[in-house]
Amino acid sequence: MLRASAVAERAGVPTASLVCEGFRGQAATTATGLGLPGLPTALVPGHVDVQSAEELRRNVASVTVDAVIRNLTEAPARVGAAVVEPKPADIVFEGDLDEVNRFFYENDWGDGLPIVPPTPDRVAEFLRFSDRPGETALGVLLPDRRRATIWNVAVNGVMAGCRPEYMPILVALVEAMADPRYGVEHSGNTPGAETLIILNGPLIKELGFNYEQGALRDGVQANTSIGRFWRLYLRNVAGFLHHRTDKGTFGNTWRVVLAENEDALRRIGWTTIAADEGVLADNAVTIARYTGGGVIASVFGNTPDRMLPYLADSLVTKVGWELLFTVGMGAGSQRPLLILSPILAETLARGGLDKQQLKERLFELVRIPAAKLERYVGEWTNLVPGRPTLTELVKSGQIPALFAESDDPERLVPIVCRAEDLMIAVSGDPLRTNAYAFAHNGILGFPTTKPVRLPAEWPRLLREARAR
Amino acid sequence: MTRSDGREIYRVVWPRGAGTVRASDVAPRLSTLEGKTIGQLWDDLFRGDEIFPILEEELGRRFPGVRFVRYDTFGSTHGRDEQRVLAELPARLKELEVDAVISGMAC
Repeated sequence: MLRASAVAERAGVPTASLVCEGFRGQAATTATGLGLPGLPTALVPGHVDVQSAEELRRNVASVTVDAVIRNLTEAPARVGAAVVEPKPADIVFEGDLDEVNRFFYENDWGDGLPIVPPTPDRVAEFLRFSDRPGETALGVLLPDRRRATIWNVAVNGVMAGCRPEYMPILVALVEAMADPRYGVEHSGNTPGAETLIILNGPLIKELGFNYEQGALRDGVQANTSIGRFWRLYLRNVAGFLHHRTDKGTFGNTWRVVLAENEDALRRIGWTTIAADEGVLADNAVTIARYTGGGVIASVFGNTPDRMLPYLADSLVTKVGWELLFTVGMGAGSQRPLLILSPILAETLARGGLDKQQLKERLFELVRIPAAKLERYVGEWTNLVPGRPTLTELVKSGQIPALFAESDDPERLVPIVCRAEDLMIAVSGDPLRTNAYAFAHNGILGFPTTKPVRLPAEWPRLLREARAR
Repeated sequence: MTRSDGREIYRVVWPRGAGTVRASDVAPRLSTLEGKTIGQLWDDLFRGDEIFPILEEELGRRFPGVRFVRYDTFGSTHGRDEQRVLAELPARLKELEVDAVISGMAC
């Protein structure tokens, strides 16, 4: 919303931005990131969703209108002199481990855990694992509009406790973060979804990622430190900070990297997540934001017919208000993720299903009554303007016809628009019959896959790194 | 490097990235809203469809001749169409002779 105001201001048109009470802090920091620290806002008291029509009218008429008039007719304070910031290689502090950690924490550069001090020597070790110079730009990240570079990837990699040889993966992650398709600017939205990183390729074994029991648990350096790197980079370069630009109502802790079990995939002839997303590189990372997830325990059965109803029902129960991204804002962008343990995937494959066939079977089963979907996006939430019915959305061409095949409110409709929208990964304890389902955040963290580019001297560099 | 108490000293670099935006002042404000055209920009969220009519009514009462260009003329400023709508916005504001904008909703 402020991005729109900034565009208007730069076009010479004065604006008033309507901001609920809890968003004034975020509005101020976001405006600074937009280069318009004086961008005026008009307060809407409280939060509109819990106000009666009368309360809303009273609040807008008594508070907001006057603020709008002031915003449009009174000049805000002029911008002061720009703050001079350090250059990349500047030494910003000297001290012992405790002092460095305190300094970083007090400057909002740490996540509350101890960091590894980013000394020039340690950063240089990371830079050896990229063929591109440190100043190479990887993109500009909202909300702070700071430049992502190979250099600051290395700095944050050091801080997170990564090993230097993880550097090619870190760079690929930031390239994905900077891809407009992903939508990093939404990373501070109130549902507080968290990114899951999925890794494919030989690097899984070369760098010692866990892809079996406890695949989503911290405790393995590669999976854990790279997950931490992601959140540190969002903080330090994109600029997402608690109580300011990050407005996650609850939020989640960062997630460890999920590595697929590619041995299992090969045995059953299934494709990887990266391949499903159209990237056929040797190594690739896929990122997407998920509002939450949960385990599907003890899937029982030895055939797809016996197993699929439970998996489908679990996908339905894990996805609720996120159906907004199926039929509302960014319609068709809901991409739930189902993670199958290898024994489940192998049993389904033995029952004759390849991955695409599995998606098609699930698509037929992952259904809810139309009236309930309408309730999620029209009655219980207030995120689709006008609260249209599914039939109206079909008529206006916003969603596929299969959402309105009859007028029966109890007719079953899918939770995604196409079978391909379901994502399926294989990981976790190879011999336990559990699965995991994640509900997705739609266009506000859309699945984005990038190849991992290794340096020309990768075999030698990796050999040397392992010897240290 | 170690200190006299034996503790290692670390010289550390900055973890952030260079800013790419120079701060600038906002657009000049209007002397009055009387007779002006106000564009409404909406992100399709948080009851903007109820709030904009209240603002129209209240501002219309106080400023004779004020005119409004409704939010649906521009399209949603959030979601799938955001990038297109914002790219087209400067030209649309000019074409519609908009003097000021009210943009909502951040909640």
